[in-house]
Amino acid sequence: MSLKFMIVDDSPFSRTMMSDMLKAGGYEVVGEADSLETALATYEKVQPDIVTMDIAMPKHNGFDISKALLHKNPQLKIILSSSMKDEDMEQEARRLGISGYIQKPVEEDRLYTLIEKIMAPDTLFDNLMGLALPVAQESLSQNLTSMIKQPVSFSDAGILSQTYLSRGITAVIGIIGQYSGTLMIDVASDTAASITQAILKRKDVSSEEVIEMSSELANIIAGRACSMLNKQEKSFGLQVSPPSIFHGKSLELVNPCLVMKKIIAHCDYGEILLSIGFKRGKTLWM
Amino acid sequence: MDVNLINPVIEAFNEVLSQFGFQEIKKNNLQLSSSTISYSGVLLNISIVGTVKGVILIGMSEADAEKFASKMMMGMPVTALDDMSKSALSEMSNMVCANACTHFNKINIKNLNISPPTLLISESNSQATIPVDQAVIVTFLCDGLKVNLYIGLV
Repeated sequence: MSLKFMIVDDSPFSRTMMSDMLKAGGYEVVGEADSLETALATYEKVQPDIVTMDIAMPKHNGFDISKALLHKNPQLKIILSSSMKDEDMEQEARRLGISGYIQKPVEEDRLYTLIEKIMAPDTLFDNLMGLALPVAQESLSQNLTSMIKQPVSFSDAGILSQTYLSRGITAVIGIIGQYSGTLMIDVASDTAASITQAILKRKDVSSEEVIEMSSELANIIAGRACSMLNKQEKSFGLQVSPPSIFHGKSLELVNPCLVMKKIIAHCDYGEILLSIGFKRGKTLWM
Repeated sequence: MDVNLINPVIEAFNEVLSQFGFQEIKKNNLQLSSSTISYSGVLLNISIVGTVKGVILIGMSEADAEKFASKMMMGMPVTALDDMSKSALSEMSNMVCANACTHFNKINIKNLNISPPTLLISESNSQATIPVDQAVIVTFLCDGLKVNLYIGLV
């Protein structure tokens, strides 16, 4: 069954050109629209696999219409087309979750290659998801061992349940790059306190020092893990945000956009949960 | 904190909530906070990385979060925060931050990227320690629902 396309462009001529090109490539054009209103109505009716979207349109531009369609279906694949190509547009499209971008005048071969890439399994993402937890584990092992001068063992590798109850102190670190993601480190308050005592070599540690240690440890682990991942595959281009630390009783954490892989680290002071996950979907440019 | 880092986030918050059908989005209060924030209920955390970095958090009570999610889902009753409503709230925070980046872009603060949101639910008083010395807390009343917008950016 061939892919179904909806074409959104205020120019009838541009719509015809795109339609002819798609049909020549063996694709099915199931609908056309020239505004926000007609795009939403036509989308409901025809449920396309991919939408081609001109950026420059009167009243609502391609970004506005894309936002509205993605609100209906966050998984919808949209190809933006424009005679312009600049970094600002690229960033905006990435943030929105646009699948691809092609410069006008559209060349057939480039369009077909882009469509194939959009529909192809995302091997780079699969590669990242395969590497993420083992590399983060290695980073935790190296850095924690170095700080507390004790061996660390691991168990219970798996998928973090959608809703997770914190042990007491949770560090959340955002990761950006070719894919965006989250790294979490979760530890019981008394384990964090014992680790802080070991690092500072004194019994008397304040709650602020325990939080700062948790933040610093998480930062080092995440930073090192992303460096190691980038070394394995340059195109990951990962960078970390500084950590947010959450602490309190009965604290439930949810990462709705991600599948988070997890593993438990064991040291003499207690257990540490390490979890990492990335969001599928990146923007392809032609 | 630089006021140029606050206004784009407030504008984005207003725009996105209007899109979800909120009629009255009233800014009630603006205050400075240290890096440790106390909260209970729902808190959404998104990191920003780039020429400006830090976090944006959106918080509200669990009861208000249920009503907020219901409004986002066209008035569908929400009696407890289930997967769908948690997803809706997360998506809202994602849209606010993505929109904020667009506004930052307009004032020449470019090359910003955001992380996926983490949603936290706390039954009792919990703390968040964010990676900036100071944050701004903007309190809104959104059709009667109290929402705190925490902006910690440098």
